[in-house]
Amino acid sequence: MRLFFELTKQSIRRHLTYRAATLAGLVTNFVFGLMRVAVLVALYGEAQEVEGITVSGIITYACLSQAVIAYLSMFGWYELMNSVYTGEVAADLLKPMNYFSYWMAQDLGRAIVNLLLRGVLLMVLFSFMFELDTPQTAIQWLALPMAIILGWLLSFSWRFLINLAAFWTPNAVGFGRFGFVLSWFFSGFLMPLRLFPDWTVDLANLTPFPHMLNTVVELYIGVLSGAALAQALLMQLLWVLGLILLGQLLMKAAVRRLVILGG
Amino acid sequence: MNIINVHQLHKQFKVSKHRRGMWGAVRNLVSQDYQLVEAVDHIDFQIGPGELVGYLGPNGAGKSTTIKMLAGLLVPTGGILEVNGRVPWRERQAHVAEIGAVFGQRTTLWWDLPVIESLALLKHIYKIPEARFQHNLAEFTDMLALAPFLNTPVRSLSLGQRMRADICAALLHEPKILFLDEPTIGLDVVAKERIRQFIKQVNQARGVTVILTTHDLQDVEKLCERVMIIDRGRLLFDGQLKSLRDRFGGRREMIVDFTESYPDVAVEGAQLIAHDGVRATYQFERDELTASTLIGRISSRYRIRDLTVRETEIEETIRRIYEKGLLES
Amino acid sequence: MRHSFELYHRLLSVQLRSQLQYRFSFLLEMFSTAFVVLLEFASIALVFERFGHIKGWSLGEVAFLYGLVETAFGLMDMVFSGFDPQRFGQSVRRGTFDQLLLRPINITAQVMGSDFALRRLGKIALGIGILAYALALNPITWTLGKILYLPVVVASNILFFGGLFVVGATITFWTVESIEVINILTYGGSFVISYPMHIYQQWMRHFFTYLVPAIFLTYFPALYFLDKPDPLHFPAYAPFLSPAAGLLVWAASMAFWHFGLKHYQSTGT
Repeated sequence: MRLFFELTKQSIRRHLTYRAATLAGLVTNFVFGLMRVAVLVALYGEAQEVEGITVSGIITYACLSQAVIAYLSMFGWYELMNSVYTGEVAADLLKPMNYFSYWMAQDLGRAIVNLLLRGVLLMVLFSFMFELDTPQTAIQWLALPMAIILGWLLSFSWRFLINLAAFWTPNAVGFGRFGFVLSWFFSGFLMPLRLFPDWTVDLANLTPFPHMLNTVVELYIGVLSGAALAQALLMQLLWVLGLILLGQLLMKAAVRRLVILGG
Repeated sequence: MNIINVHQLHKQFKVSKHRRGMWGAVRNLVSQDYQLVEAVDHIDFQIGPGELVGYLGPNGAGKSTTIKMLAGLLVPTGGILEVNGRVPWRERQAHVAEIGAVFGQRTTLWWDLPVIESLALLKHIYKIPEARFQHNLAEFTDMLALAPFLNTPVRSLSLGQRMRADICAALLHEPKILFLDEPTIGLDVVAKERIRQFIKQVNQARGVTVILTTHDLQDVEKLCERVMIIDRGRLLFDGQLKSLRDRFGGRREMIVDFTESYPDVAVEGAQLIAHDGVRATYQFERDELTASTLIGRISSRYRIRDLTVRETEIEETIRRIYEKGLLES
Repeated sequence: MRHSFELYHRLLSVQLRSQLQYRFSFLLEMFSTAFVVLLEFASIALVFERFGHIKGWSLGEVAFLYGLVETAFGLMDMVFSGFDPQRFGQSVRRGTFDQLLLRPINITAQVMGSDFALRRLGKIALGIGILAYALALNPITWTLGKILYLPVVVASNILFFGGLFVVGATITFWTVESIEVINILTYGGSFVISYPMHIYQQWMRHFFTYLVPAIFLTYFPALYFLDKPDPLHFPAYAPFLSPAAGLLVWAASMAFWHFGLKHYQSTGT
């Protein structure tokens, strides 16, 4: 456990040094937020509310989906794959620590820095530009951090799974891209899921992706409450556990494969 | 007439200073301090046509910065820099047509292309007449033993093969100057030797001026008559390899085999640095003691069966120069 | 000049041959770029069912704009991928750009010839597919003028986006770390002009009219192709300024590129 926090601390320090990149990301996400707001507001036109999402709700959605890009590594994460291809993986596997936890500790550091420096800061910046929605009830406020943390866990477990492909194929980056694009669509990153036709939503609900982002968004703009909220959090938790379990199983197979082939 | 003329050349870089620790990392985020570093600090040297010069120095000493300025890739902060009568960075295209360069681990060849096709592409790039190209290619193929892998894609070559191909690529257009940055790094003994012999031949037979940076001092010993040593941007030494030894290579070693094993073999004036059974190694200053005096002192007390005198390794010499440089600053 | 052009062709053929050596990875990348376009467009098309239109433009009309932009951007990305800011920034940082500077030929031709992203055919194919879908939903009354002008508009957009790539690549001479900002220009630019420009607030529209003349590249030509009235009341020749705007941006980017080259200093290590 101490090793876990040491790794996290180290990773926080490392990510704090990416000064220019963080600023650049902040500016980029901010401007894209403005553009997306413009398009979504135009789409709403005269409509005040669609499927429970108000105009201020859709604006908040556009801002929030930009704010979590870095936190959830929406545009892809290929570090583990690269370590397999460069051979560093051998040293990583020798560390007295579960391979999944080893990467999770580092990703936690990355996520914390990006949540604060890009997530929170962006939402503050956006709030100067727009009237943003916030959770309405105390329960929603309490549930929000949980949903945000579970969203990260889900995103990390998914990225871990995708990256394991590197143990089997030299083309893991190419396959990985499919995985990331799928998560854009079904997590509600491209459009809030509620605005899609029912069949698309049903399809999305067969995947873990809605719980990475869409659940957080709906909680944030206050359309998720009561039993639906409890159910959403429970589903989030179940998906996290499921993906972690799957990750552990595949990881064992991957390590076995590496040992047999000798890298 | 010098082919390279450098006077009071210097190059500054802006380097950011980092604070340490978690709190330091947070503070770096808000404000950063910069520091100006003289990567090359007002150096002077001239190189005549046909010279073969070793350019030495530890990592970060300013070697690459100098070479990059000579090659026209970096613009100096100040000073005079002329190569082939041109200011490299002002007339890049004309300048690079007359130089060849091999930069360490990076290849100039096309990764997925067979070697011969890469070379043919260079023929077009440098507008080498077909006859010259064929003639040079045949000569270099022979000298560097390229034939077995001319049709292999560059990505599948061993490091030594790739380096040979790269050196050939850098010479096909008959440059007047060849810059070699670590040409033997990571190679085995045989491959190193082959490359050294080639460099020597090209320098002598074709009169190509060669500037060689290396960490391998055997390269220097076998190839260069003249060496320049740079550390922390300052030129510490520029002269003959021989005089480098004379000036800085003060200590010599004598290894003595005795006829029997003595418990104590110390003698005055020399330092006993190893003693194992019948063999002992002494170190002594060349200007304090001659070898024959030392032999006299030893043989007056013990029976010598055999002995050898060794000059200091060039590594040792250069280490001493760096230390001296540190003292100066 | 002729020498540069001939070399560009040679470098290109090297690129194509290299890429086709890795057939599987090539196909994979081609499908994945197509997949991105497909899902992005699908997300818009699916949401349109709820709203019916965006400020008076139907799905078919937006799809026309969208397909036009995707096709042109994909073609540009294929031809100008040597200037892809992300890629180019890396080559500056790794020193491979220095290798190009060591060769006695035109540097622009070399950068152009350093990559040719054939894998973008996936994006281009999807772009054309979206255009076809647009025409199916919303048939255009073709005239000879329109038929002749369409390729001109595509070419102008290629020049326009190519110019943005060149500007982005040039910025990496000064900063590689801040490279993400360049996405605002390239991907942001293509995002904005994929929708009808009258939906934006005035300040944003003015930015994309007077500072970056993006509005002339697709929006006004689209009005002409779709026979729609101009709600912004620009002169009647506005749809035909597309080539001029494309050339202007390209020329400006080339001037910036040469300025950057002059001031470029490779790193000292």
